[in-house]
Amino acid sequence: MYLSLDWAKDWIKLPKDLETKQLALDFTMAIVEVEEVIERSANLKDIVVAKVSEVTKHPDADRLQVCQVDVGEKIEQIVCGGTNLSKGMLVAVAKVGSRVKWHGEGDLVTMAKTKIRGVESNGMIAAAEEIGLENLFPQKSDKEILDLSAMKLKVGDELAEALELNDTIIDIDNKSINHRPDLWGQYGLARELAAIYKLKLKDYPNFELKGKNETKLKVTVEDKDNCFRYLGLAIKNIKVEDSPWWLKKRLEAVGIRPINNIVDVTNYVMYELGQPMHAFDATHIEGAHIKVKQAGKGEKFVTLDGENRKLPEGALMIADAKKYVALAGVMGGQNSEISIDTSEVILESASFRAASVRRTATAVGLRSESSARFEKSLDPVMAGMAIRRAAELILELCPDAYIASNLVDIDNNPFKPITLEVSEELINNRFGLTIPTAEIKDTLHRLQFDLKYKAKTFTIGVPSFRATKDISIPEDIVEEVARIYGYDNIKFELPKVNIDSPIVNLDYLAAKDIRRWLSLSQKYYEIYNYPFTNQAWAKKLGLELNNHLRVKNALSPEQVYLNISLLPNLLARAEENMRWYDEFKMYELERTFDKISKGTYQTDNTRKKFLPKQDKYLVGVEVSKKNKEELFLSTKGMLGALMEHLNVELDFEESDLAYASIVYDIKYKDINLGQFGLLEDDLFDSGDNKVNVAFWQINFTLFLKYINKVKKYATLAKFPAVYRDMAVVVDKGLKWADLEAEIVKISPLIRHLEPFDVFSGKGIEEGQKSIAWHLEFRSNDRTLLAEDVDKLMDDILLILQKKFEAVLR
Amino acid sequence: MEKKLKDLKEQFLREVEEAKDSKLLSDLKTKYLGRKGELTNVLKEVKDLAVEEKPKIGKLANEVKNELAVIFSKTERIIKNKQSGGGMNFDPTMPGIREETGHLHPSTIVQYEIEDIFAQMGFGVYDGPQVESEYYNFTALNTPEDHPARDSQDTFWLEQGLLLRSQTSNLQVRMLEKYGPPFRGIFPGRVFRNEATDASHDHTFYQLEGLMVDKDINIGNLIAVMKSFLSTFFNTEVDVRLRPGFFPFVEPGFELDIKCLICDGKGCSVCSQSGWVELMPCGLVHPEVIKAANLDPKEYSGFAFGLGFTRLVMMRYKIDDIRLLQSGDLRFLKQF
Repeated sequence: MYLSLDWAKDWIKLPKDLETKQLALDFTMAIVEVEEVIERSANLKDIVVAKVSEVTKHPDADRLQVCQVDVGEKIEQIVCGGTNLSKGMLVAVAKVGSRVKWHGEGDLVTMAKTKIRGVESNGMIAAAEEIGLENLFPQKSDKEILDLSAMKLKVGDELAEALELNDTIIDIDNKSINHRPDLWGQYGLARELAAIYKLKLKDYPNFELKGKNETKLKVTVEDKDNCFRYLGLAIKNIKVEDSPWWLKKRLEAVGIRPINNIVDVTNYVMYELGQPMHAFDATHIEGAHIKVKQAGKGEKFVTLDGENRKLPEGALMIADAKKYVALAGVMGGQNSEISIDTSEVILESASFRAASVRRTATAVGLRSESSARFEKSLDPVMAGMAIRRAAELILELCPDAYIASNLVDIDNNPFKPITLEVSEELINNRFGLTIPTAEIKDTLHRLQFDLKYKAKTFTIGVPSFRATKDISIPEDIVEEVARIYGYDNIKFELPKVNIDSPIVNLDYLAAKDIRRWLSLSQKYYEIYNYPFTNQAWAKKLGLELNNHLRVKNALSPEQVYLNISLLPNLLARAEENMRWYDEFKMYELERTFDKISKGTYQTDNTRKKFLPKQDKYLVGVEVSKKNKEELFLSTKGMLGALMEHLNVELDFEESDLAYASIVYDIKYKDINLGQFGLLEDDLFDSGDNKVNVAFWQINFTLFLKYINKVKKYATLAKFPAVYRDMAVVVDKGLKWADLEAEIVKISPLIRHLEPFDVFSGKGIEEGQKSIAWHLEFRSNDRTLLAEDVDKLMDDILLILQKKFEAVLR
Repeated sequence: MEKKLKDLKEQFLREVEEAKDSKLLSDLKTKYLGRKGELTNVLKEVKDLAVEEKPKIGKLANEVKNELAVIFSKTERIIKNKQSGGGMNFDPTMPGIREETGHLHPSTIVQYEIEDIFAQMGFGVYDGPQVESEYYNFTALNTPEDHPARDSQDTFWLEQGLLLRSQTSNLQVRMLEKYGPPFRGIFPGRVFRNEATDASHDHTFYQLEGLMVDKDINIGNLIAVMKSFLSTFFNTEVDVRLRPGFFPFVEPGFELDIKCLICDGKGCSVCSQSGWVELMPCGLVHPEVIKAANLDPKEYSGFAFGLGFTRLVMMRYKIDDIRLLQSGDLRFLKQF
């Protein structure tokens, strides 16, 4: 949204010493965000009015001409390719040093003295688009230079002065005024300026409509729910032509291309007041009857821009007795467009429900300046002001025109006047500062609130243009007063609070601990992944896509399914990284989304329904050149160390999975918390690098319950331990775990076993293996003697012989 | 006599300094400490001194002698080590051997840092659902039925009226319901927007919401807490300013800017010449939100803020492409 300061001066007189930079800052601090201040003349510097005094052919180029141009103080030679160039023509010359846009494209470049095909050229005879004037002087072709001959201009004058293009324009961030329907026109913005600078604001013109009643204009609003107000007025005997320069200039300043006087007037009023308007060619409105109704199913309509648009069912339409003539609040129809031959118009000024316009605009994919404004929830009172203003301007522009109908006004304004009781205390408490009562009163008056003050309470009547959605509660008034009074005046003060007992968040603490443990002690990289499952990997892991929650409006087909496991994405990342590394470990700790089970988060305050379960998982992958046994055992060892770190006793239990060559369940008693194992080799394309991949996953949410923060230290041994080694030959299939279990059963004096060598092959019979381990013996109440340990060693061997047919090596 | 000793010592120190090999050093030893050495000579003179001088000078002379002996043997060791390599038969200028480590994600590192700052101001850290109901993501936050944020262009919708939370504000009412006032907490976490990605936009990014609800909380409290946090985080006194901003769940609502830390407010490309950088939306909690948590807005007020956390991480490490954060690319992650 642009604010033209020249335009605003119709109603306010800005302080003389106010710099535009300061104004932009004040605007940002008290009203809405200013993106840029544009001095209209800035880019026209060193561009002057000039006269072509001589044209000759370029000796070395067919399409170029060499001109002698009178730029005021001297005659310059300029090479030019303009197709409409002629002797005596009044043109705009961009002198050396000025900044122009080559062929209307790209960034501004600085003009320099140059030679074009061997001929010296001092400047450029500009096309309109090269000096940013294409809206004011539409070009028929890009080869055409700007012809100013029709205007009375003095040769040598700076173009900006000659054309009076010396406005200052404030570019306002549209996002920051989405909630302010009153700020979508120059007048509303001027009102705010009047409030911050304490200026007198002139009333908006209220033109008295006088005329005939020749056209029996009739308006029928069928859909009162979506059309809050509809005003119509016929004007006859108009002459469609170019708008006068002052009007064109103002439209151009706010970014609108002038079209013709009638369309320009409707645009002018929209930019002035924020109220969109439309003008129909009255001869195309059958029966001078306007109807506001909903579109049926499967209908189409050709809008002004020539597009034949599919109408969503229920879209609000403007129709005459027989056909649709406009897409309400969005765009007019081609069938009733103003043309050069139009002599009678019907003006429309209406108010539509914001949601209805937004729905239609979105459905047909057309967001116009009009629909953008209606979406903000406009004040229906403005519609009445707008039509009077438009009539005034049309009569001013077309001296022969006259009002040819009564003003038809179907008013179903649903917005009730809002009155708020606001205590002075609330304003001061929320602000954290006492604002003088007179200051509060003055501010609210200037913002056109109606005000009564009694017993330290304000009774505030909200003006209609702020009452459609913007202001509805006392806190809104706090903001109005505070922002104008100035947020700069706020005293910073840390809140004074009472100390509460802490709320222990185990989830947070454990996650922090585990992340640091994995990353800082176990060489693991922490990965952040998207919530959308990698489908190729989900398939490889046998995860049914149908079991995933689906995104209905996904950005792409790859981003439809929400993770039920973190493994697919983590494995995809692992595979990508194999291009650069052949040894790495990575993990992710995030939520997964369960389509079937419900969790503990309620969906609303009735506490009856619950959201899908969203357990957090801790998932890791290790890519390694280690052999399978080493990789498996190091993963198992890491998990064991993690459990010891967290003081949880978990069991690993053999299991199976289609995609894993070996897999163990991670269990707490009977509860399955996850798995770990090695992935099948053919899952990965690891290129020339032969790597093995281990994975592990733990349901973190579930696992949390078993973390035991209370660790108890074990008394340090009082008596020395005795260490022995033992080696036996046993069946190759015998598992260490079984062997160990038998040995530790024998005596509590056997404290610890640790295998150090497993061997089969040379010297060992086929189907057998040799296995050797260290043993630690210790008693809590005495020093063990050699005889004690010898006896235990004999017992162990005896048991192993009996159970496993072991042979001592 | 005293002066003589002092001079002798200084002379010795100078010469020792210059002695580069053991031959020279051994000569020095003879020169000073040998049987006919200079110091020995001085010591011999002691017996000729007056009786009352003897103990004093004698003591001093011995001290000097011991001192010289210590310096001598130290120098001797250093020279010997230099000549023989000290028995260390390797090249110490080779690069140091490092144990490789793992890495926390840069967002995690910054998040923990921020959490610690808020924890010291008594803010707890909380977490909640990412698949969310329309109620907690919008309705309870005073967002009208037809608000554009609810559109499918902005929010990812799932079946059964569920959605991927578009803001960490979804926890405001949840946490107030669960813990009640007085409440002070921050909610870091990932949020989702249905928007096309480029170097500065991603559909999945991180926010850090803060909420404080108590009796008589005002705008000054909000700014003071923000200023304390930001000054600690950036490790410099940060200037902040509030300007009007609109968000349905706060009233009044603000945009909080900080004075540009690059140019100190003078204007540069980072702050688009304005001297200020927009950092976070914030405001006083809207009475409708207080009501949604089943509390009386006449009794309780509060403030809320929404830190664009991912942007802060990018600022901290000068990361120029947001997508790197979720790329899982180890070449990127190993830098943190």
